[in-house]
Amino acid sequence: MKCLFRIWQVAVAECSGAVRSRRALVILVIYLLSAVFCMMETISLLGKMEAELSNMLQLPESERTGVVSATLWKSKPFQRMVRSGVRNELVYDDIVGRHPAELVYAWFAFMCAPLLAVLVAGNRVADDLKSGSIRYAIVRVTRLEWTLGKYVGQVLMVALSLAVSAVGAWLVAVFRLSGVGTWELLPAMFGWGVRAWMYALAWLGLALGVSHITRSGSRATAVGLMAIAACAVWTSVLRYWSEYADWPWLLHLDALVPSSAEMSLWRRSFVPLFTGGVHLFVLGMTYLMLGHLALCRRDA
Amino acid sequence: MIGVALSTRDLVKRYGRRRALDGFTLAVPRGAVMGLVGANGAGKTTWMMAVAGFLRISSGSIDLLGRGPFDAATHSGRFAILPQDSALPLEAHPEALLYRYARMQGLSSDAARRSTGEMLAAVNLSDRARSSIRSLSHGMRMRVRLAQCFIGSPEVVLLDEPLNGLDPVEADRVRRFLRERRGRQTIVISSHNLHDIETLCSHVAFVEKGRVARTSTLEAITRASNRVTYTLAAEPSDMAALSAVVPGATFAWTAETHDLVCTFEAADGDVAAINRKLLPALLAQTDVLAVSSGLSLEQAYLGS
Repeated sequence: MKCLFRIWQVAVAECSGAVRSRRALVILVIYLLSAVFCMMETISLLGKMEAELSNMLQLPESERTGVVSATLWKSKPFQRMVRSGVRNELVYDDIVGRHPAELVYAWFAFMCAPLLAVLVAGNRVADDLKSGSIRYAIVRVTRLEWTLGKYVGQVLMVALSLAVSAVGAWLVAVFRLSGVGTWELLPAMFGWGVRAWMYALAWLGLALGVSHITRSGSRATAVGLMAIAACAVWTSVLRYWSEYADWPWLLHLDALVPSSAEMSLWRRSFVPLFTGGVHLFVLGMTYLMLGHLALCRRDA
Repeated sequence: MIGVALSTRDLVKRYGRRRALDGFTLAVPRGAVMGLVGANGAGKTTWMMAVAGFLRISSGSIDLLGRGPFDAATHSGRFAILPQDSALPLEAHPEALLYRYARMQGLSSDAARRSTGEMLAAVNLSDRARSSIRSLSHGMRMRVRLAQCFIGSPEVVLLDEPLNGLDPVEADRVRRFLRERRGRQTIVISSHNLHDIETLCSHVAFVEKGRVARTSTLEAITRASNRVTYTLAAEPSDMAALSAVVPGATFAWTAETHDLVCTFEAADGDVAAINRKLLPALLAQTDVLAVSSGLSLEQAYLGS
């Protein structure tokens, strides 16, 4: 219990430091504006497409965006197109009944989660190592408690960012899309926020793990961003080689990167969601502990 | 070892081929205020960092409060350090920071709040409790760093250059604060200011090339010598007359300080006996401005 208490104290210190430095505020604002901008741009694009479609079919133009899209979304040919795009029958079955606005936000949240994690957490340990401020903490808590406290603090920060962005995206959808019930979409948006947060658990572990092995905050962030790219390359290379060399077992190695569990989070049912969440948490912890091992073996 | 708060034995810390600590053996008695004196690079800071667990030692052993080497799980709240060149989180407020540190070391919310208030008052920073560390001057930051060491009254405190950057008034306040802790807490101070060590410490260790060259009580180091220093208005004109009064003694005149140092044999008597014999002879030649016996720590260190 003492251990949990000390981890919590480090997490609270981490969050309060972020709030006082306005770093948290800046990230919140950036994420909120990005979500709002993404929703607005997508809705504008939908509006243009709908206008074109109405013009082509010589139908009267709708006053609000979304009417044609909602109909289109339910049409069989369009659903066939989405099915081929998703390339995962189970995921397709789960998302086909959802409102397009939900999916736009989900796409944004999942795409930005790795970036958010690296930008929020990338320099947090490295900066403390460089300034020496870690020393005031590690005479009071163990290095492991300190590492876990930092992780918990960042997990809370990302949760807050995603919650705020979900509200922003919901407001845009309510005001600019037709056929969106005021309160119906909010829980769905939060649901996607929670899924994106689960996805971010692994990326936060990666960002903080990298941050443990260097004393330069900017270098840690840069390496974290490169790691995001490396994970994408890793998956592509594995897919290519598994097909080209007929080594299907290679695809199992994809489980080492967070993107392998992303599709589980798009599912509706509990089991894939749970296993995906556990997979991502274990991955995050593994990355974090590798960084922690490096910290334990070095002078602070 | 009963009565020893902190001991290190044959401590070695290597950086490549260089040995920053080379068999550093030291025992700090409970309740003592020990001063570490040594040249730059002698190993004082490295020793403190090793004791605090910041550095991985190459060999040797450390025993802190009879519970082995430092481990935060065991020693949290019982040990504190003022590390050299370690910045505090710049965005934090002193009050919030000290409170958080107090909570980390296991104090209850009320105790943490009380201890934070006491420490801020002790270092005269109550009025800046809610300013950000970034806005504080170098000296004020040093005082916050000092305050974090004494949160919750830990049993052992290591202070690396604690008076560095403090103005004379605040330095005096900190000296008084540290003197009040004599006997209640075990404190080790590393400082190049030997006057500070002399006024604060009960024990002294001379550190050279990564090891302890000599350690003893301050009293034993500065008072052991049979030596009296007379500060005079002018150089005595007749040294032979002085030698005649105390036949076994030798006299050395330092023109810069106007000090006449008399080193005598134990057989000639104690300091009082020497004064009774010498002072009339000196006053016959010049005015005597001051008399002091023994060695200053600086003299003891430079002569060691």
